[in-house]
Amino acid sequence: MATIVKLQHISSFRGKGTRNLIREGMSKRPTPDPVAVLRGHRASVMDASFHPSRPLLFTGSADGELRIWDTVQHRTVSSACVHSAAHGIICVASSPFIGANKVISQGRDGTVKCWDIEDGGLSRNPSVTIKTNTYHFCKLSLVKKPSAHALQAEGHSYHDETEFRGTFDLESLDDSKEKAERGLTECSNVVRGELSHEVEVWDLNTAERLVQLPQSSVGGSPNISTSERGMCMAVQAFLPTESQGSLNVLAGYEDGSMLWWDIRHPGVPVTSIKFHSEPVLSISIDESCRGGISGAADNKIVMFSLDHSMGSCVVKKEISLERPGISGTSIRPDGKIAATAGWDHRVRIYNYHKGNALAILKYHHATCNSVSYSSDSKLMASASEDRTVALWELYPPKT
Amino acid sequence: MEVASKRRRELEAAVLDKVGEVISAVRSAQRVDQVICALHSLAVLLFPLDYSSLLSGSIDQRYRDQVLSAKVPSEEERWEWWQAFYHGAAYPTLARVLLLDVASNWLACFPLSARVHVYDVFFVRGLSSEVVQTLVPCLQQNASDGHDINYVLSNTERLLVHCLLENDGVLQMAREFCRSEDSISEWTKPTVARLAQMVASIPDKARLRAPVSLSSHLFFKQITIQLLSLAEKRDEKVLDKVSFFSKSDVDDALQFVGETFSRICRRGSADVLLSEISPRILRHVQSLLSSDIDSAVIDVFEAHPGSQFWLKMIEAIKDVYAVERISEQLLHHLVTEHASDVEAYWILWLLFHRTIRHQTSVRSMFVDKFVLWKTFPICCLRWILQFAVLECPPDSNSLTKGHSISGLVDTLQRLLAVWSKKEFVQSASMEQQTYVSAAVGLSLEKMSKEELDETKDVMHLILQGVSCRLESPNHLVRKMASGVALVFSKVIDPKNPLYLDDSCSSDIIDWEFGLATPDKGNLDTSDCTEKDVLKSKASILAPESDFNHTANRGMSNNVKSKTKKLSEFKIADPDEIIDPVTLNNEPVSDIDDDDDNASENSESSSDSSLQPYDLSDDDTDLKRKFSQLVDVVGALRKSDDADGVERALDVAENLVRASPDELRHVASDLVRTLVQVRCSDLAVEGEEESAEDKRQRALVALLVTCPFESLDTLNKLLYSPNVDISQRIMILDVMTDAAQELANAKTVKPKHRTGSLITSISESQPWFLPSGSGPPGATSWKEISDTGTLLNWSSRYERELPSKSGQIKRGKTRRWSLRSSSVQENQMEWSHNKFPVHAAAFMLPAMQGFDKKRHGVDLLDRDFVVLGKLIYMLGVCMKCAAMHPEASALAPPLLDLLRSREVSHHKEAYVRRAVLFAASCILVALHPSYVASSLVEGNLEVSKGLEWVRIWALHVVESDTDRECYTMAMTCLQLHSEMAFQASRALESVETTFKTRSVGLPSNLSQGTIKIPTHKGNIDFV
Repeated sequence: MATIVKLQHISSFRGKGTRNLIREGMSKRPTPDPVAVLRGHRASVMDASFHPSRPLLFTGSADGELRIWDTVQHRTVSSACVHSAAHGIICVASSPFIGANKVISQGRDGTVKCWDIEDGGLSRNPSVTIKTNTYHFCKLSLVKKPSAHALQAEGHSYHDETEFRGTFDLESLDDSKEKAERGLTECSNVVRGELSHEVEVWDLNTAERLVQLPQSSVGGSPNISTSERGMCMAVQAFLPTESQGSLNVLAGYEDGSMLWWDIRHPGVPVTSIKFHSEPVLSISIDESCRGGISGAADNKIVMFSLDHSMGSCVVKKEISLERPGISGTSIRPDGKIAATAGWDHRVRIYNYHKGNALAILKYHHATCNSVSYSSDSKLMASASEDRTVALWELYPPKT
Repeated sequence: MEVASKRRRELEAAVLDKVGEVISAVRSAQRVDQVICALHSLAVLLFPLDYSSLLSGSIDQRYRDQVLSAKVPSEEERWEWWQAFYHGAAYPTLARVLLLDVASNWLACFPLSARVHVYDVFFVRGLSSEVVQTLVPCLQQNASDGHDINYVLSNTERLLVHCLLENDGVLQMAREFCRSEDSISEWTKPTVARLAQMVASIPDKARLRAPVSLSSHLFFKQITIQLLSLAEKRDEKVLDKVSFFSKSDVDDALQFVGETFSRICRRGSADVLLSEISPRILRHVQSLLSSDIDSAVIDVFEAHPGSQFWLKMIEAIKDVYAVERISEQLLHHLVTEHASDVEAYWILWLLFHRTIRHQTSVRSMFVDKFVLWKTFPICCLRWILQFAVLECPPDSNSLTKGHSISGLVDTLQRLLAVWSKKEFVQSASMEQQTYVSAAVGLSLEKMSKEELDETKDVMHLILQGVSCRLESPNHLVRKMASGVALVFSKVIDPKNPLYLDDSCSSDIIDWEFGLATPDKGNLDTSDCTEKDVLKSKASILAPESDFNHTANRGMSNNVKSKTKKLSEFKIADPDEIIDPVTLNNEPVSDIDDDDDNASENSESSSDSSLQPYDLSDDDTDLKRKFSQLVDVVGALRKSDDADGVERALDVAENLVRASPDELRHVASDLVRTLVQVRCSDLAVEGEEESAEDKRQRALVALLVTCPFESLDTLNKLLYSPNVDISQRIMILDVMTDAAQELANAKTVKPKHRTGSLITSISESQPWFLPSGSGPPGATSWKEISDTGTLLNWSSRYERELPSKSGQIKRGKTRRWSLRSSSVQENQMEWSHNKFPVHAAAFMLPAMQGFDKKRHGVDLLDRDFVVLGKLIYMLGVCMKCAAMHPEASALAPPLLDLLRSREVSHHKEAYVRRAVLFAASCILVALHPSYVASSLVEGNLEVSKGLEWVRIWALHVVESDTDRECYTMAMTCLQLHSEMAFQASRALESVETTFKTRSVGLPSNLSQGTIKIPTHKGNIDFV
């Protein structure tokens, strides 16, 4: 045993030495360029989202155009004006849970549209149109569930839920919507959520609003007043395994605070935390739903972890930035790295576990609006106001 | 006494008799032997002769016997005879015969030994003072008496060389003077002076073919050495009788030395004199200083016997001019010999300390002339100040202040009175200004604040002098001002020195202001005061220590970063050493893979592949870039946003050069804002220059791309009361640059491509295939199979093209529009002078209001720098329009401007230089044929203007104080003559055309004249 320990020491020293060398060598390693740049939008690209299974990328721009790109050929597959040019798109989303051939676009015209992807293009008309009457800056969020292997442990009960869930998606913003299973939440006559501090959960299939957070009518505790927190700026809906299938929502507000809601208790949030001093602009939850990352208008990125049993949210790592403003965050599906889209034109890559910076990607010459990872973790897309979408291949997972 | 004098008289009579005998014998001689015999009979009475070797074989037996039989007098008798012979009338009589008759008639036949023993002996062994008196007049003998004058003269010269140089005759003369104590009356002062005069005149009297040793340089050198050796020899002789020199009066010998020296100086050989004197005295002082330092030095110097000669030497020189020349040369020689401050002081003290006290002329020479009107190297100035003004020995090689400061205050006041005058700045030469400024600075350094307060107007004068210098366009002059101001501020408040100039941040002021030539610089380093040396050492050390410091810092940084890295490393991998993470990669690790941390392990191991990239970041790309000229104008107006102004300046030039459509509308605004933006206030410390540069380049670009609109505004601004001098200067600079750029504008014109407009399809391939032409290396066309429907109306082909040479592949980006080198070859580029079109717009408005005095505008007097720049700009414009008709149209008004008295005779050399430049430009710019035709047509404006240029340039050459003006005027004259020559040629051709057309020349051709200066004209015609 002793010899083994000794061996370990030696090898560890050796490993350290070589690693040091590598590190020093690497520190000079120039940052990579994008593998491809997708040009074609005629206005600021607001959001990008990969197709869950096919090599497609959906991008939406501020003039209402939704483009579908082939990520292998780097060419536009189709383009359509899905929202009015005056209002534009603020969010595009797709998820395996809503169906592989669907994409959702959220416009600033108060509508959310669900589109079917047909042969080489979008359907002529949206399959579902939800008039949310919201005119804000918060991007909707589809429900996120713990990734497959985690789910398997939970057993079959989730299986049937997935079917349902396919229809749900959470959108949030002050009038944010979530689509949840009808099995999950029952909501009756809710007051119109035109107030920007409310989070709404909508069912995508039926285009009905399921719940509103906080639920004012059902006598939610009055001391949780979200109106003081200002507008809701970012939402993320997720279905943690611990919650027995009930939908959870993390919502960020204008004053920098975040509320964690469990849809079973729409009146009172699970917890309230304040990591940021400026409006929270982006929240991402990792695949295990045990942690996430948030970006705000201040010069901080916060990595936090969620403790479902305690119902608490703790800062894991706080990264301070030279220049403020993170408009988008994304955690790679394999949970190794996370990316942020900055107002300072940079895309930053962090080690999601350790929180150390890995790269500062300088390609865009205007504000970056969002970053997004493909489901196979191989590609990352960054959308920027400079009307381009850049595709990156960083630290590709070993397969 | 009676007996003695009687005896002497008798002796003299005997000598005279004998001489008469000899002379008659010589005169009646038939043969050379007879002459030799006669001379010998006398010589044997006077000199001890060596017979055996003397005459043997050289003369006839008969005469030899006679010679040998001659009676040899005793030693004593001979001495008496010698005295009588030389002091009496006998010698001059005989000498005359010897030098004239014998020399011309007989001497050539003399055997060599005879010549030496019976002829030369009379001169060589004689009384030197008498010998000189007979020899020197002979040099100017005329060929009247039928003598062979050439032979007489060359013989005399030979004798002079022999007596004075080879036998130390001058030294002997001096000895004779000092020996003749008993007969002092004999050597009256005029006689001594006359003798000295005679000696000194020899080189001038000698003929051209005289021996080289009689040339003034060698001759004076020789006699100086002789006289100085006298000084040293006398040391030994006089050791026992100190009283000899304690006589109040200077003795005759020394008087002779003094007189001789002053004659030498008068004859312009002071440098020869001093090249001998200064090493000797320096050696003397050095030996004294090294031998004994502790005791009171003045006593040592006075007591030392070797000093006596030096102490009295200058006193013996009565001639003020000679004293001045000697002092000047002494100082220069001391510099070249690297004398230290202490040595120099003692040398000056030794030579001058008596005279400076007693003779006002010497005093004023040192205090006035040498400080104010002459220029020496700066170390000499220190010596002069130390000796004559501070009047005390220097201490540890720095200027030391004595007890009395009255001299210092006096001198300072006198210096300042001169220094502070504006006229001095305008008219004195640069060397003079430097020197006086250094004198002011050095003497000011020695003052204390209290002493300054006591003096009346010193402060006022200093301020006046500094302020009038700071306005000067000459950077050296400004540097002088800032140097003096720094010293002054240090006197007032040592802790708070005032640096007017960024460049002079060190404590040491270079009073040479960089004027010193390199080898002078060498001198400086070696023989400047030790203080300076120490200081400069310190200053040399300072950067070194800085360097060390930085090096240390760098090292510590390194270390720090290393430790930081280490700690980082530790932090990053806290469990690295005990953790089997790294072992995971190795087969061994499999053994003890723990289940507990399996997940962590996997995480970490996967993380290890996440090596960070280069994380350096800067925000250069984040700043807002201006892409519209309007934005630039807006940003420039926001003077509170320094960053914005800077960025606007960054892009301004490029935006303007892009020449967008709106430029014409924005130009005027942009010009105005650019002129008025305060670069220096806004720019970061140390980057004022670049901001200023950008601003100017932007303005130049504006003027070039959009001349008329921009010029309109600029010309308005030029005389606007709202801009200051610096802005006016900048405007003129910008206009100058723009004119030059316009004149050298390059245009690219693509070469016309010859390609057939109709393609032939005679090639073998089918018509529907694309043509095979293309760059070499292209592959052949291939049809692409289309997957679409069968009904395909089009066929598609593709082929691969090689990348063009010169095409750069950067990353994934392909740039198609890169101009390849071959394309450039196809384009022709030639320059085309675009300026003449705009010349009038450049020049006329600027020329309009230069002489008007308005609020804030006073070009003729206060803002003379602007005037100079303006004229320079006009000159450049003329040059840029050279040989174009516009130049001819614009020349007359410009000449008018230049001719106005207040411009061409401006007090400031700066303006005069500009005028000369502009005049030269006009001469270059005018086409000869235009000059010729203006003469033919009687265009008086031009011809008179050109004539004025010539006269005025001549005037400048003759009388201007500024050296640069002089050289420029010379060039101007040369250009004028060239122009005149070309014009006269053109005129000839005009005449011939007139003749062929049988049209008479206009009668008024003669009215316009161009004078061709002969001296230059000749050269040109050759």
